Amino acid sequence: MSSPEDITRARQIKDLQPLHDAWVQWTHTRESLQETLPLLADTDPAMRALASEEYNSLTSTLTSHVQEIFPQLLVPPSTTQHLSAMMELKSGVGGSEASLFLADLLRVYTRYANVNRWKTQIVASNQTDGGGLKDAIVEVKGDGAYDALRWESGVHRVQRVPATEASGRTHTSTVAVIVLPLAEEPEKMNCDDDLFSMEDVKIEVMRARGAGGQHVNKTESAVRLTHIPTGITVSMQDERSQHQNKRRAFQVLRSRLMDIKITKDIENRRTTRRNLVRTADRSEKIRTYNYAQDRVTDHRIGLSLMNLASFMEGDGVQDFLDALKRNHDEDVMEEMIADID
Amino acid sequence: MRREPVRQLFARLTTLLGSESANLELKWMKQAHVTSTFPTDLSTMLERRLRGEPLQYILGTTPFGPLELLTRSPTLIPRPETEDWTMRLANVISPTSNRPISILDICTGSGCIPLLLCHLWPPGSTRAYGVDISPAAIRLSIDNAAKCEIPAPTHISERFSRNTFLPVLHDIFDADFWTSLHPPFDVVTSNPPYIPHHEYEQLPASVKDHEDPKALLGDPPGSSNQDGLSFYEHIAFLIGQKGILKDNGVVALEVGQGQADAVEKILHKTSGLRKTEIWKDPWDKHRVVVGYA
Ligand SMILES: C[S@@+](CC[C@H](N)C(=O)[O-])C[C@H]1O[C@@H](n2cnc3c(N)ncnc32)[C@H](O)[C@@H]1O
Repeated sequence: MSSPEDITRARQIKDLQPLHDAWVQWTHTRESLQETLPLLADTDPAMRALASEEYNSLTSTLTSHVQEIFPQLLVPPSTTQHLSAMMELKSGVGGSEASLFLADLLRVYTRYANVNRWKTQIVASNQTDGGGLKDAIVEVKGDGAYDALRWESGVHRVQRVPATEASGRTHTSTVAVIVLPLAEEPEKMNCDDDLFSMEDVKIEVMRARGAGGQHVNKTESAVRLTHIPTGITVSMQDERSQHQNKRRAFQVLRSRLMDIKITKDIENRRTTRRNLVRTADRSEKIRTYNYAQDRVTDHRIGLSLMNLASFMEGDGVQDFLDALKRNHDEDVMEEMIADID
Repeated sequence: MRREPVRQLFARLTTLLGSESANLELKWMKQAHVTSTFPTDLSTMLERRLRGEPLQYILGTTPFGPLELLTRSPTLIPRPETEDWTMRLANVISPTSNRPISILDICTGSGCIPLLLCHLWPPGSTRAYGVDISPAAIRLSIDNAAKCEIPAPTHISERFSRNTFLPVLHDIFDADFWTSLHPPFDVVTSNPPYIPHHEYEQLPASVKDHEDPKALLGDPPGSSNQDGLSFYEHIAFLIGQKGILKDNGVVALEVGQGQADAVEKILHKTSGLRKTEIWKDPWDKHRVVVGYA
C-alpha cells in the first residue's frame, strides 16, 4: 500500500533524479581526468596517444556539463509537472471548414495522448451537419499532460481547399485552442475547496419546464454555473443526467480557476524579476497549416515542418512541442541570468 | 412498407423539439444504440419518439443522481425534480451503521427514492420499504434494486451490513395497510399522484398517452376532493397514527405546482406535525413539504 506521503516522497525522488545523475557523472568524469593526466607524459608513445584521446573526450564531457547540462538543471522544476490537462477547442472563422479542421486537430491530440499513455475523454462536443465539430472539450489524464500540451494554447490557422469546394479555391479558417490544468476531482462534489467557495457559485438549470414534476417528462438536464467573483460561467448539457452535467461543469470551473491561479503566480514572480518570458496570449495566431505548400509553421519560434501528413497523421506534433519546451527553458534561463547581473 | 431515411426522421424531430434538443436526443439515442443489448435501430427509436413516446421509455433507462434506473411503460418515469430533493434529503439526514434508520416510501413506483437513499447513505445504515398498488411498478422496483445492487432484507444482508430495500404490493387506502410493514419509521417519503382531473386532459401526449393514469391522478374515482390532494389527506392520516413516525422522524412529500401551502396545512391539521418547511426545486417551484415530528 502506498500512502499519500509515500507518493509525494516518490515524486520528490523522481524530480531530483536528473540533478543526481548529472552530479554523479560530473564527479566520475573529473576523477577519470585526474587519472589520465600523469599518463599524458608516459614514456610509452602508444600509451600517450591513448591518454590524449581520452583526455579530449573527457574534457568535452565536462564542457557540455558546464555549458548545457548544469544550466538546464537551473530551470526550476515546473510546479505543474504532474497535472493532467483539459483542452477546449472552438472553431473560429471559416464555418464548416473550421469545424472539420477542429475534428482533425482533435484526432492529432488524441493520438499524441495515446502515444504518451494518457487517457482521453471527450466531455462535451457539438457536432455539425457536415461531420465536423463546432467545439469540444477533452480531458487528457496523466502525469505531465498539462506541461506538454500547454504550448498548444492559441489560434491555429488552416489554409486548404475544402473537400466541399468545387472551384478548388483555398479557404482560410481558424480553431482556437485553450489548454487548462485539470484539477483532481474532489471526493465530494459541490463543496468548498481551495479554488472556490460554494457560496460564490450560482447553479442554474436552463430552460423552463412549465408546471414541472409529474406534469412533464421531457429530459431537461442542462446546467449553468456562474462563479460570481470572477464572472466565469460554464454551461454543460451533453449528458442526460443533470447530476453528471453538474459534475462536469464543476470540473471545468475548477480548471479555469486553477489556470487563473497559475497565471497569477507566474506574474507575481515576475514583478520581482525582470520579464523575458513572453506571456502566452490566447488570441495570438500561433500556427499555420498550409496544405498547398505542405507545411506547418509555428510563428512563435519560426519553426516550419514540411510534410503536413506527418503532423496530421504521424507524430509531428512532438517536434513542435519539444522545440517549444526548449525555447521556454532557454527563456527562463536567460531570465535567471539577467537577474544575477 | 417503405421506411423514411434517418435524415428525414431527424429533420422532423428538429421541427418538433427545436434543433438543440433534437441534436442532444439523437446523440443519446446513438449512445444507447451502441451500449444496449436489445436490437433497436436508430430509425425505430426516431419513429417512436416522433409518435410522442418519452425518450426514457425508448432508451429503457433514466439517470437518477449517480444511479441509472430502468424505465418501462406505464410506470412513471422518475423526474429531475424528484432527483433533486432526494439528493438534498440525503444530505440533511445522516444515518450511520451504529444508528441505522428505517424508511418508508409510499407510492414508490420505480423505487427511485429509496434506492437513491440506500445508495447514498453508508452501508448498514438504512432499511427501506416501498409500497405501490401497481404490480408492474413493483416488478420494476425489484429489477431496479437488482441493478443498483441493493438487496432485500435477509439475515445474509444483515450479516454483511448492507442497506436493504423491500418493495411491497399494497393499496394505501386499504384498512389493513400497516400489516405487511414494520412501523415505526424514522423517515417517510412520498411522491404520490397529484394531478387534478381538470389538468389531466391538458397534459402533453408523452405523459398522458404513455404513463399510468393511476400514477398521475391525484383523486381516485369516488373521492370528494378534486384538487389532486386526496393522497396527501390519506398519507397525513396514516402518519398521524400512533406508533408510525418515530420521535424526531422526518416526512418529505413532493407536491405539484401550487399545492405546497395546502399540503403544509394538511400536515399540521391531520398529522399534528407542528414544524414544517417548503423546499423549492431547481426551477424555483415550491416542490416539497418537509415535516418534522
Ligand atoms: C407519481 S408516481 C411516483 C413514483 C415514484 N415514487 C417516483 O417518484 O417516480 C405514483 C405511484 O403511486 C402508485 N399508486 C397509485 N395509487 C396507489 C395506491 N392507492 N396505493 C399505493 N400506490 C398507489 C402508482 O402506481 C405510482 O407508481
